[in-house]
Amino acid sequence: MQDMQLLEEGLSLMALGMGFVFVFLTLLVIVTTLMSKIIGRFFPEPVAPPVPARGRGAAPQDDDVMVAISAAVHHYRRRHRR
Amino acid sequence: MEKLLTLWYGSGVYNLTPGQAVMILVGMLLLYLAIAKKFEPLLLVPIGFGGILANIPEAGLALSALDQAIEVAKPAVLQQLATALGVTLDPLANAEAWRESLKGVAHDGAAPDALRAARDIAVGVGYGDGMLYSFYKVAIASGIAPLIIFMGVGAMTDFGPLLANPRTLFLGAAAQFGIFATLFGAVGLSSLGVMDFSLNQAAAIGIIGGADGPTSIYVSSVLAPELLGAIAVAAYAYMALVPLIQPPIMKLLTSKREREITMTQLRPVSKREKIAFPIAILLLVAFFLPDAAPLLGMFCFGNLMRECGVVERLSDTAQNALINIVTIILGLSVGSKLMAESFLAVETLGILALGIVAFGIGTAAGVLMAKLMNAVSRIPINPLIGSAGVSAVPMAARVSNKVGLEANPHNFLLMHAMGPNVAGVIGSAVAAGVMIKYLG
Repeated sequence: MQDMQLLEEGLSLMALGMGFVFVFLTLLVIVTTLMSKIIGRFFPEPVAPPVPARGRGAAPQDDDVMVAISAAVHHYRRRHRR
Repeated sequence: MEKLLTLWYGSGVYNLTPGQAVMILVGMLLLYLAIAKKFEPLLLVPIGFGGILANIPEAGLALSALDQAIEVAKPAVLQQLATALGVTLDPLANAEAWRESLKGVAHDGAAPDALRAARDIAVGVGYGDGMLYSFYKVAIASGIAPLIIFMGVGAMTDFGPLLANPRTLFLGAAAQFGIFATLFGAVGLSSLGVMDFSLNQAAAIGIIGGADGPTSIYVSSVLAPELLGAIAVAAYAYMALVPLIQPPIMKLLTSKREREITMTQLRPVSKREKIAFPIAILLLVAFFLPDAAPLLGMFCFGNLMRECGVVERLSDTAQNALINIVTIILGLSVGSKLMAESFLAVETLGILALGIVAFGIGTAAGVLMAKLMNAVSRIPINPLIGSAGVSAVPMAARVSNKVGLEANPHNFLLMHAMGPNVAGVIGSAVAAGVMIKYLG
């Protein structure tokens, strides 16, 4: 009987824990999305000339750059396989 | 001649117990894995070395003053200790039997007052706490070292990919299923009579599935300090094995077509969002789960230092110098728990076995969740990034990337996988908070 009780407690902790993790992270998803919207709407980054966008900031030239990089990678791969 | 005998009786060879010999070999094995196989060397080198130190016979580096006195003091001192602890020693038995019975009483059943009195006697006759014991008391028993490491991890974490695609938080949540399934497995094993784990111990074992070293150490120091050595070793060993454990599971659960899915470019995330995010987590924790506040609080603090941009020096210290110092002390303290009496038990094998199951289930749950999300959402989601929901930053994300590249050489999933990866850190800290709330 002792064993059944332990098992039951384990099961309830599993359900409770998993449930709570999901609820908490769902809340976090909602809060994060809201926060991003609010910041995007009311407090946008000042669009000063030196845009401090890191890494992925250069969206407009992305396609060109990607084409160039893909071509280079392709070329490199082909040469190195032979 | 008598002097020579004294030297011989005091030597390591004379006093070495078989258990200690085995543990020294285990320590060497850990060192080998760390040095030759590059298994989490930053932790396994200190842990392995600490394990060897803790098992040096007679040195008692991992023992408290009282334990040391019981272990090596003269019979007269033993009698004093016995009076303090309220034990009657059988005058016919030899000193070894006295030591055994004193040890038994000191470890369970002695009143705090009696223990303190006995400790004072031990200190009075010149015994002190062992070096590793002091490290353990300061670094782990107080909970400080894992928390400082967590702060450093926060300072190293970039939440950008997560903020660009917050839904990946669900993947970090799903992968925590490994923790709870393993907890249930451990409870099941003990109700079948195979092993003997209490619910607290089962919870501490389950947290290995969170694939997060500091969280595992923190939880087991709160819930089951007696298993800490085995749990920490299992957690770090399996984190090193992530590239071997995960890919077969990921390939088993996905079709080639799913693995080839390319994901849309992540949007750029503004600096202000990154600053607000740790504060948002902190508020949620404060409102809903104060028991996760130590872990997530330090994590958010580290991350805020990184993102706010005005305390570069502090952020730099947290992610470099400080985390290195604490890692050394943490590793040695964990090593002090690798003592023969507690480590050489069937339970350790059970922990190692359950730990790997935890990893497997977590990985599978993450991948399945990603498949589900891919099925219901408009934006394509490659199921491979689900496996990164077990924390193990950044190893798990790299594994997702690598398996993705095998299916489609132009598909770079690394940044996409970083989202669930850091979500996994938050998820396992939340899971830890729930367990501590429920059982602590």
